[in-house]
Amino acid sequence: MFGLNKIIPVEPNINFLILRKKFLYLSVIAIIISIFLLFFKGLNLGIDFKGGTLIEVSTKNTSIGELRDILSTNYNDVSLQEFGSSDIILIRLQNKSNQESIETVNDVKSLIEDNVIEFRRSEFVGPTISSELLYRGFQAVSFALIAILIYIWLRFEWQFGFGAVVALTHDVLFTLGLLSILNIEFSLATIAAILTIAGYSINDTVVIFDRVRENLRKYKKMELIDLFNLSVNNTLSRTIMTSLTTLLALFSLFIFGGEVIRPFALTMIIGVVIGTYSSVFIAVPTLLIFKFRPQDEED
Amino acid sequence: MKNYPIWKSFIVILLVLLGVIFSIPSIIYDNETDNWFLKNKINLGLDLQGGSYLLLEVQLDVLYSEELENFSDSIRLIARENQTKINQIKLDNEKIIIIFENKNNISEIRDSFFQLYRGVSLKTNDNQLTIELDEIYKKDIQDSAIKQSLEIVRKRIDESGTREPLIQRSGKKRILLQLPGVKDPERIKELLGKTAKLTFHLVDDNNSEALIANIEPFGKMIVSDIYNDNTKYLLDKRALVGGENLVDAKGSFDQTEGHAVSFRFDTEGAQKFGKITSNNVGKRLAVVLDGVVITAPRINSAITGGSGIITGNFNAQEASDLAVLLRAGALPAPLEIVEERSVGAGLGADSIAAGKIAAFIGMLLVCIFMILIYGTFGALANISLIANLFIIISLLGTIGATLTLPGIAGIVLTIGMAVDANVLIFERIKEESLKNTKVFIIVKNGFERAMSTILDANITTLIAAVLLFAFGSGPIRGFSITLSLGVIASMFTALMLTNFLVYMYLSVKAKKEINL
Repeated sequence: MFGLNKIIPVEPNINFLILRKKFLYLSVIAIIISIFLLFFKGLNLGIDFKGGTLIEVSTKNTSIGELRDILSTNYNDVSLQEFGSSDIILIRLQNKSNQESIETVNDVKSLIEDNVIEFRRSEFVGPTISSELLYRGFQAVSFALIAILIYIWLRFEWQFGFGAVVALTHDVLFTLGLLSILNIEFSLATIAAILTIAGYSINDTVVIFDRVRENLRKYKKMELIDLFNLSVNNTLSRTIMTSLTTLLALFSLFIFGGEVIRPFALTMIIGVVIGTYSSVFIAVPTLLIFKFRPQDEED
Repeated sequence: MKNYPIWKSFIVILLVLLGVIFSIPSIIYDNETDNWFLKNKINLGLDLQGGSYLLLEVQLDVLYSEELENFSDSIRLIARENQTKINQIKLDNEKIIIIFENKNNISEIRDSFFQLYRGVSLKTNDNQLTIELDEIYKKDIQDSAIKQSLEIVRKRIDESGTREPLIQRSGKKRILLQLPGVKDPERIKELLGKTAKLTFHLVDDNNSEALIANIEPFGKMIVSDIYNDNTKYLLDKRALVGGENLVDAKGSFDQTEGHAVSFRFDTEGAQKFGKITSNNVGKRLAVVLDGVVITAPRINSAITGGSGIITGNFNAQEASDLAVLLRAGALPAPLEIVEERSVGAGLGADSIAAGKIAAFIGMLLVCIFMILIYGTFGALANISLIANLFIIISLLGTIGATLTLPGIAGIVLTIGMAVDANVLIFERIKEESLKNTKVFIIVKNGFERAMSTILDANITTLIAAVLLFAFGSGPIRGFSITLSLGVIASMFTALMLTNFLVYMYLSVKAKKEINL
């Protein structure tokens, strides 16, 4: 009808693999920086994993400065932040013992009662819970990676599984590095985002691998590097289309979905871009390490 | 219609229709309805409807050390009966070690103790006896404490007038509470924060030396006043009667004393109370709540009616809350709040509104994009996408799943990802059209070849979603539910509905070539 699909030719012929070394260097550098950041800067842990108290209020005729003045005379570890609009304010307090924190919430609430229209949200996560949540999040991500690996092993040859896991680990580390550098809050929702990114990235990789497998059967004589290139080209328009529709939905969530969900949407956007990139430039080139055909061994 | 079985079209249309019909209750969303059909609506999570989530931990350590205290008291009594002197008692979290002056009677002492507490691990070594709380014994204490706590918590919450609370055990020593629509979680927290252990003890006014030296003689204890830490009482350790014998308690007003709590004992309690008061006229009787003395009035005459009042400097709310606590009974051990998440109705409503807008705009963008790229085929995929959304909503409603804010994010994300299966199919059809000329063969091959890729690609997303459900908590589970349902529904809509629509389109229009 509109024929816009003709922009991407049915059988494009772009030599992706010739670029593989440059992108490999780029990724290796990015991963090293990410690991460095994770060790030395760390993640901006939210109260889910750090523990602490968070109160969201909508204020009436009170600026964030006035509210800070009221609270900082009583608490020296309080931090305030506007949340989406100037009359909605997030108040964060450092973690203390469970009992003390609960009392603090009550005290804070009664201190600012007159300046507040509504207490929109109050959250408290105790120290034992936050470390448990972190542990469980770590478990979930690890088990998901292992389960996905097993599935790929069952469905493909093991070399594909290796390529998929290299790409996945790349995606997770790269995403975490960007979260660290951009100081995006790391919460339970971020764990969900990372797992979804893992699922999405693998989805992308599987589609290309599927084609590699098919082409391996179809073109018995073709050079592996050309065959991989062909497979990436065959699936290119699908890869781009799906990433774009997913990104459209995510941008809508990022812009209109509200303040609470914004870090999740941003993490997903970063992850989808990285996941798409890694399927083409990391997962497929990794396959070049392996010899898939007997005749290749003779080369 | 060529090559398209009628039974298949029937199933496709039926499933889509069911999806639309069963979305109606969630779209109308009538909270008050009694209609069996309209009841199949989505449950909103606490983060969307407003309410309070609390996680409480039973302080088991307190129970263990109480139990060890009991052991040490019993050992003292038994040792006294056996005329053996105790040199030292060492107490820690797990065990007590009693060192006797000599080892002559140690096996008799051990046996008598074992008669009282079976199942405790006992070790003797020369003149030393070690009593240990082993895992099985601890587990018994733990299980009965949790069970009792659950019951008491349930009673207290019911008394507070909360509608449809969810109260359940979570893990080994925690209790999870979901209180929809609770506007003031502070009062609930107050109610749950007290153990409410009420006991009556005789005051020993004849031993002021012990009180001054702050040394507790055997069988006595020193307890401070609720209003003044420096006022101490020397009390008999043994409680004469306790809160477990109460049958009723309510806030009342006394002309001279102000707000008070009036209570009534059961028969056993009334008898005990009557006996104590008649035998101890002139002495003082202390009312101890959670380790502090509320009041210690002098017994002027025997009280045989089985009822009385507790006075203190209460206001009306405090008196009625204390009455609630006494009616519900005492917790076996203190509860500590380890996690709280309360959302006001305002934020919940804002989140729903924002989620609706994000879903609508996301949907619109994806639909426009699909039509721009794939033309008529894109429009067919859009019909599938809309059907997909209806199916997700209807499934959420009929299985009674809870929709949370991350759940809404999952739906929006699914909107973007659901077209993937259609894209895979269309790209295959495009490729096949280079090799074949017959439209129906092209379409058939396109769908068949895309099938295994679609399954492989979606199963990995499902694996991630299932693990997220297994390890996630509350709101995050909502995300994994909508994501899983979305993935499953998208496979159905792409492989069945889009398939059906494409065949319809091609045969109705009698197309001779594919314009993709």
